Amino acid sequence: MNPSGADQPARAEPAVEAGPQRLSPWFSVTGLLLVATLLAAAFVQARQYALLSMTAQYQDDYQMLSLYQAEIEYLRLREQLSAEAGQPGSSRQLRLRYEVFLSRTAMLQNSRTRRLSSESGLVDEVLGGIARFGRHADPFLGEGARGTLGPADAQALLAELQALGEPIHGLLINATHQMAAQVTERQAQVRAHNRIGLALTAFLLAMLLLFALIALQQMRKLEQRRRRLETLAHQLRDARADAEAASDAKSEFLADMSHELRTPLNGLMGMLSLARDAPRDPRAANWLAVADESAAHLLRLLDDILDLSKLESDALVLSPQPVHLARLLREVQALLQPAAVAKGLGLAVELDPALPTYLRLDPTRVRQVLFNLLTNATKFSDAGAVVLQCRRAAAGDDSPVIEFDVADTGIGMNPQTLSRLFRRFSRADDPRALRQGGTGLGLAICRNLARLMGGEIVVRSTPGEGSVFSFRCPLHALDDQPEPTQPPPDLQPRALRVLVAEDHPVNRQYMLALLERLGHRVRAVDNGLLALQAVRDGTAQPFDLVLMDVHMPVMDGVAATIEIRRLAGPAGLTCVVALTADVFADTRERCLQAGVQEVMTKPVSLAALRSLLARHFGVAAELPPADGLPPSATTLPAMLDHAAIHAVRGVMGGDRVPALYSGFFEQAASAARSMREAMRNADTEALRSHAHTVKGAALNLGLPALADAAATLNCEAGTLAAAHLALALQRFEDVIAATRSLCDGEGLLS
Amino acid sequence: MRRRRILPLTLLPLLGAGPARALDSPAAPVVLTLSGRIGAVNRPGGLDFDMAMLERLPQAGYLARTPWFGASRKFSGPLLRDLLALAGCQGRELRAFALNDYRVDLPVDDARRYDVIVARLLDDRPMAVRDKGPLMIMYPFDGHPELRDAVHYGRCAWQLRGIEVL
Repeated sequence: MNPSGADQPARAEPAVEAGPQRLSPWFSVTGLLLVATLLAAAFVQARQYALLSMTAQYQDDYQMLSLYQAEIEYLRLREQLSAEAGQPGSSRQLRLRYEVFLSRTAMLQNSRTRRLSSESGLVDEVLGGIARFGRHADPFLGEGARGTLGPADAQALLAELQALGEPIHGLLINATHQMAAQVTERQAQVRAHNRIGLALTAFLLAMLLLFALIALQQMRKLEQRRRRLETLAHQLRDARADAEAASDAKSEFLADMSHELRTPLNGLMGMLSLARDAPRDPRAANWLAVADESAAHLLRLLDDILDLSKLESDALVLSPQPVHLARLLREVQALLQPAAVAKGLGLAVELDPALPTYLRLDPTRVRQVLFNLLTNATKFSDAGAVVLQCRRAAAGDDSPVIEFDVADTGIGMNPQTLSRLFRRFSRADDPRALRQGGTGLGLAICRNLARLMGGEIVVRSTPGEGSVFSFRCPLHALDDQPEPTQPPPDLQPRALRVLVAEDHPVNRQYMLALLERLGHRVRAVDNGLLALQAVRDGTAQPFDLVLMDVHMPVMDGVAATIEIRRLAGPAGLTCVVALTADVFADTRERCLQAGVQEVMTKPVSLAALRSLLARHFGVAAELPPADGLPPSATTLPAMLDHAAIHAVRGVMGGDRVPALYSGFFEQAASAARSMREAMRNADTEALRSHAHTVKGAALNLGLPALADAAATLNCEAGTLAAAHLALALQRFEDVIAATRSLCDGEGLLS
Repeated sequence: MRRRRILPLTLLPLLGAGPARALDSPAAPVVLTLSGRIGAVNRPGGLDFDMAMLERLPQAGYLARTPWFGASRKFSGPLLRDLLALAGCQGRELRAFALNDYRVDLPVDDARRYDVIVARLLDDRPMAVRDKGPLMIMYPFDGHPELRDAVHYGRCAWQLRGIEVL
């Protein structure tokens, strides 16, 4: 079905891994060749041994000796005979010579003599001649000779013997040559064998070398593998040590953090319990204010921890962009001005004219650092002024550097305090520090940010005179001022056009309510694709801000943001703020990389929304709270029907309204619980009846969204599948909570 | 102490210690002469044997295959070591002479180690000179494959007429 997939594992299998399971095929091939060669060598040696063992050779050699001795005995007999030819009779000596001659010539009567002679005729001639001579001589010279050898007989025998001389000698010469030929042939054979032997030996040597080479290679591979494993083990050990160190640091951090979190939480819970026990106490408002402060502190702390965790895990990526420096400083000043004024401090910003108008930097992060430093300076100064001085400086290697000096006229710090300054959760040893409610993380974050930008934060301080924090980072000047990526902040407050992309109807309602309360014009959509279309099509009336939920159907917030950033013209530069309920650094990072200006964590409070708008639009966002609600762009029912509420107020009288609404919400919550139980029991009728009750009451109390949710449950309880019913019920509960919090904001609850 | 005295006495005939002793002289024509470093003689400088004297010595025989007779043939005659003991041999090397003046050296040790005989019968019949007789040194080739080489075949002097102890 999938051929490419099928052979994938085979190809993917690395050669190194194949090593231990099977040896190289060369190994077995060479081994087989080696064995074959050894067998061949053994065969050749066996042949050579057989050749040496052949008796034929010895016998041929011996036959040569026999031939020589035959000729010698022939000559001796002839000499003896010719010496005695003149005298009658035969001496014992002659007879012995004759017998010895015959015994010697008897040795020639075999096939070997013929083999040694190239002319068989010659052999026959010699053997025939000797036999003939023997027949003639035996009567005179043989054992038990009858006749006496007379001179005439002796002469005849001598003549016959002399005639044999030439053939016997010829036979010898002939055999000598034949022998030489045989020797040569044998030598050739031995040479050939030797050649084969040598070739085999050479081949054997080559095979052995090859074998050794392969073995060496295998060993080297093994060694390499061992070394790799060792390196890996080292790396693992190091990684483990790092992980343990990191884990220790985390544990320490967690211990610190839980302490830091517990402090404001204790304040919050303490104040709440006071208020609960004595709600009518005139100090209750104060207690609640402190509780609120503690909660705000807690939120700041959590935000800072999130920032720090991002920084320390290197998850934060800067997004440098062209920035109008003066404008950025003005924004920071505007943010701090109220606090400074409240403390009766001066707040001055001085800008070095040598600095270019436009710089390339990450405005959000620079703003964060400056805001933090200025906030600290304001906190620790009770009189005098806080001065932000921005100037051009030069680093050691003459590359340009921009330096932001934040000088205060505060309490200053001693060296001990200075040394602990940038640590997490370290604060000046001053009760005021705690009173000021710093998280103890601000400077640690600032220093990390500065280093991320390639810069640094240094501090010099004299106790009692004040401190100067210097934030330096590389200066990237821009000669041509580009189109600003954000519209310049308006000087006059105006209503912003905001697009809310949020799939959850309750959250959508909630955001709409918040924004409308702040006096902005809002449009709501329920997925990313619609948001993209709205931004693209809204060229006539562009949106100032898109509040983008991250998790949405059809197209999620991240994808939608990426698409928006791809749009041409000002639409592509629309300010996008992502909203997410999860606090994972990873999600924030994905959003930032997609091009959002900021990531906000849900739930969004009114104050948080206000500060968000202030951060991005400055004073432009500061509208006086709207009287009444402008018409909403959504078709969904509004959370609160102010007309109906007003009517309720009229009917019931102001002081009984809170009890009414509180009672209703208790009932609604109880109804929700009952509905859950009904759902578990599959009691559709009970569920519908509860929903119906809530719907009626909600309509009467001017809570249309809640009424709508209840109506939905009432209508669809019989038709929805269990899972969808559970979801609808969940929405219903969410709407109760959101409506309740809005009513609380309107002062409708007790 | 006893053994020291006995040992030389026992070895006396072999080692031939002491002056040369006179032995019987041959009655028939001499067929074999022992000479050289020997302790027993029956004429000045040598020990002569006729065929009858050799016949009187203990006889040994066996089948042996040689290059000269084709198949295995039976050879019999006195053991060479008996002859040497009789002659009081005092050397380590022997030199054998043949009627045709062929000569070959062989170690005394061969006679001790193997049943080397001075063969006088071939298949229980006396050997004529023309049949390589009348005497012939023979090694037990059939029982000892290690003897089947040119050196040992060469030591089989036929038409043997004398042995000199070197």
